[in-house]
Amino acid sequence: MEHGTVEDSSASTFSIAEEEHTLANPARSVLNQDPRVAFCGYSIPHPADNKVNIRVQTTGDPAIDVFKDGLQDLIVMCQHVRGTFDNAVVDFRSKVPAQQMDIDSK
Amino acid sequence: MERAAGGVSYQRFPRVRIRELKDDYAKFELRDTDASMANALRRVMIAEVPTVAIDLVEIEVNSSVLNDEFIAHRLGLIPLTSAAAMAMRFSRDCDACDGDGSCEYCSVEFHLAARATDSDQTLEVTSNDLRSTDPKKSCKGILIVKLRRGQELRLRAIARKGIGKDHAKWSPAATVTFMYEPEIRINEELMETLTLEEKRNLVESSPTKVFNIDPNTQQVVVEDAEAYTYDDEVIKKVDAMGKPGLIEINAKEDSFIFTVETTGAITAYELIMNAITVLRQKLDAVRLQDDDADLGELGAHLVGG
Repeated sequence: MEHGTVEDSSASTFSIAEEEHTLANPARSVLNQDPRVAFCGYSIPHPADNKVNIRVQTTGDPAIDVFKDGLQDLIVMCQHVRGTFDNAVVDFRSKVPAQQMDIDSK
Repeated sequence: MERAAGGVSYQRFPRVRIRELKDDYAKFELRDTDASMANALRRVMIAEVPTVAIDLVEIEVNSSVLNDEFIAHRLGLIPLTSAAAMAMRFSRDCDACDGDGSCEYCSVEFHLAARATDSDQTLEVTSNDLRSTDPKKSCKGILIVKLRRGQELRLRAIARKGIGKDHAKWSPAATVTFMYEPEIRINEELMETLTLEEKRNLVESSPTKVFNIDPNTQQVVVEDAEAYTYDDEVIKKVDAMGKPGLIEINAKEDSFIFTVETTGAITAYELIMNAITVLRQKLDAVRLQDDDADLGELGAHLVGG
């Protein structure tokens, strides 16, 4: 990862190698929910380049901090979905007995 | 929401409800989140959840009708039981063996030896003939090649951990889809002005069975909202009838219905859980990156430029 302007910390571009829409799009959408963010967008400069650029411009806070907070939000969200899904499975299993894969039932 | 770094949080907390869960199939609702999260989950399930698949084949004898590379390709596509794949190493990251298949952390070795004896019976070589040094074995009999009398196939194969992004043979997902939950509203007042014949035509206009007519009250009712494929046919019909607003259909943009089918390499439950874990790992990797080192390098570049 590398980031843009050294003089103005409120606007940065984060270039992330070996990542694509999977990471950049949720990051973008979470950052756009944040009132400290004035602008956030991402692009994949070239389909053959294995990288994604995420631009973050804030209302004053350092962009790196806001960006990391956004990622932290996503991590918490992942953990939450994992926990929720696990609970939902336990809930479901208590109602419906486990079914076997019907692979050889021809 | 508390955060160690003292930052501020604006995220939502999604809800999950499971509709169906079998070993290789799951259907669930994901609510209170947005399309980017749902799509990230879908993309990770398809391309980034690791499994084990045959990656290297050494053929000793092959007198079958299929050529060596054809058989090697078929072997690669066999779904192997990959419950342990998350804990395994990628062979490129494996220090113990440099990925040559001699170590248990990153690879599983298989042997196959089959020969059709001198009978007229065709011998079917399936994935069950793959013998592994490790108890992990392929799950069911998938046909590899058929041998005629006297033909023989003998080989050594090494299975490695990988992800669908590198090659589709490593993808544990057969299908992963999500749809927005449709919200269908019928203007009952306007509906009263329709004759029974018009109502029938309206119900028939949808290519999927979304609406029906209640046999007792003869009212148009929503039979299965999720059968709607966002085809707009009913809306067009309603407009053509000169009754705009009779039926309104909106996609609820924060509710998703997921359908997950696996190849059998891992269970649907494992696929979903591993997908979330992988997504989390990716976020962690970016967040915890040592940015100062990179900034120094770039800073030097900026000064120089």
